[in-house]
Amino acid sequence: MTTAAETGIRRRDHLLRIIQRVRRPDRAQMEALSQRVPYWFVCVTLFAFAAIQIMLNPFGFSDLTQRYAQDISNLLVTGPYLYGDAGQKAVSAAVIDEEALQTLQMPWPWSYGAHARVLDALLEYHPKAVVVDFLFVDTRPDPTLPQLVDEIARYKKAGVPLYFEGGTHLPYGEYPLRPELAATGARILDPTIPVYDGIARQYNVNGKCFDTRGVAKGACYSLALEVFQDTYPQYKLEPLNGMMELVWGTRTDPHNAKWISVTNEDGTKRSCNSDIGPLRRFYLAFFDPSAVQNPCPYNAQVPVVSLMEGSDDKDIPDLIKNRVVFYGGSLEGAQDKTYTPVNGLLPSVYVHAMALDNLITFRGKPEQNVITAFGHTIPSNPAQMMAIIPVILILALIHMRRMRRKRARSGIQEHGVTFEYVLDKTIETVWHYFAFALALGIGLLLALAVGLSTANWVEVVFVSVELAAMLLVGVPDSLWGYLHHVAGGVADDPA
Amino acid sequence: MYHHGIAVAIAAFLVLSGVSASASEETCASATGDVAMQARTPEVDLFNDAAGTQKAMTLEAAKFPSCTPITGRSPNMMLQVQMNGAKYWVPPHMVKYRFAGKLPAVCRNLALGSNQEKAGATRGLGEGCPKAGAH
Repeated sequence: MTTAAETGIRRRDHLLRIIQRVRRPDRAQMEALSQRVPYWFVCVTLFAFAAIQIMLNPFGFSDLTQRYAQDISNLLVTGPYLYGDAGQKAVSAAVIDEEALQTLQMPWPWSYGAHARVLDALLEYHPKAVVVDFLFVDTRPDPTLPQLVDEIARYKKAGVPLYFEGGTHLPYGEYPLRPELAATGARILDPTIPVYDGIARQYNVNGKCFDTRGVAKGACYSLALEVFQDTYPQYKLEPLNGMMELVWGTRTDPHNAKWISVTNEDGTKRSCNSDIGPLRRFYLAFFDPSAVQNPCPYNAQVPVVSLMEGSDDKDIPDLIKNRVVFYGGSLEGAQDKTYTPVNGLLPSVYVHAMALDNLITFRGKPEQNVITAFGHTIPSNPAQMMAIIPVILILALIHMRRMRRKRARSGIQEHGVTFEYVLDKTIETVWHYFAFALALGIGLLLALAVGLSTANWVEVVFVSVELAAMLLVGVPDSLWGYLHHVAGGVADDPA
Repeated sequence: MYHHGIAVAIAAFLVLSGVSASASEETCASATGDVAMQARTPEVDLFNDAAGTQKAMTLEAAKFPSCTPITGRSPNMMLQVQMNGAKYWVPPHMVKYRFAGKLPAVCRNLALGSNQEKAGATRGLGEGCPKAGAH
């Protein structure tokens, strides 16, 4: 029988020993215990490290990795080599720019009649649909307003869908579109563009709903998705959640190269066609990304001046007929430009055009930042955690086998020191590449099977290589050795 | 047989002359100078001013007279045509027209760096617009 006092003393001694081991651990015991790390502990340690990295986003590292990888992927791989041109052949943009204003001697802002003139000229070439990327919010007095109302009627008569955009951040009571225009029944769409660190990399799936009187309740698709759903009924739009991850094409439309040129900093002119070889592109993408960016947009631009003068240019019908045409502006000081990963600053109308281009090219299954499977939507971070589990299990298993072999080998001097050194270094290198390939394989599987974008699985690759490095230096083993030692564990055969 | 041959020849002549007249009408070969040959869009808007603020009328394509002389052109590309003694302005995309001269090529140049910088200012819009409700 032990008394309460004796029990108390024993507990206190036990605690003191723990504190002593915490402060002055026995190195030999720890090293011996670390050799006996259990498989589950290795997995838990790696999982915890991965969770901190992915879920908690320390120092913004997670986000930065994702977005940097997305940009590099767009510039190096998907943009120039993998992204199809189905969307490019189906989307174009008629853009009013400063040169058009100067040539036509029509200062900004244009009257509604002038816009009606452009829309009428577009209609002549039978577009699939036209999206007006100007906000007609202000009720400014303009006697030509009926001309635009008449033009909307002409579109209806011709059976060509005409879309307007509604203001989204307006004071209470302000109409998203002039009531006279909204009363025609023209569709009003939400033009919101999400920017991430000032760069357009994603696109909203849902947007505000508008009726003729203003903002309506309920959920509507965003601009590009609404247009896609209406104009491409042959492609069933998958139920989308989260956001679209934009893939930016880099090869400018061949029509653009015919009439748009680029002036270099030294004053020389060059074509819009970007002739950068794969090796040079690879080098520049990492060391001088702006040099790989092409200021010419991916989607075709309709020359507005030629359009308005009724030119017989045979390219104009090609650029409009059976295409969805975005009608927008690129005007100095109008603040409607957005930075893109592959072109630098572009008129924002091209962001909508690119989103629609993605939807057409991927046939209604764009790349996303979420996984939707079996009716459930999993956000990006949990999806990445799930993706890294098999990597952890496999890496930990191989690590355990390596440890076992090492234990069995210890004490037996089979080979020379040089051989052992070379062997260890080789294993290190192969080990890192193995982790890299394993994660890359899983990432690609996610991309192909469930449409998770590069940005949202690339961190799995980075973290996997980090985990491999952790295993090489024996972090889980050392941690186990220390914790087990502190808890009072004793090695069977301390080294 | 002989009469039959003459009838065929006459018919062929009539058909060919009809086609020729039609082609001549389409190209307005006999007209000199700048000319609006025919309507291009289903409806043609005619304006009283070059800016296109006052619409005079809208004509159906069939009612737009062929080979209408173009008497002027404004910087915004609107064409001045003379119809029934009156002068109107018509948007050029609405008619098929022929110019004696050559139209300048439309080109665009992007200065490198313009895709890296944006104006840190807001464009002043509508300074000249009268205030709503003011007369």
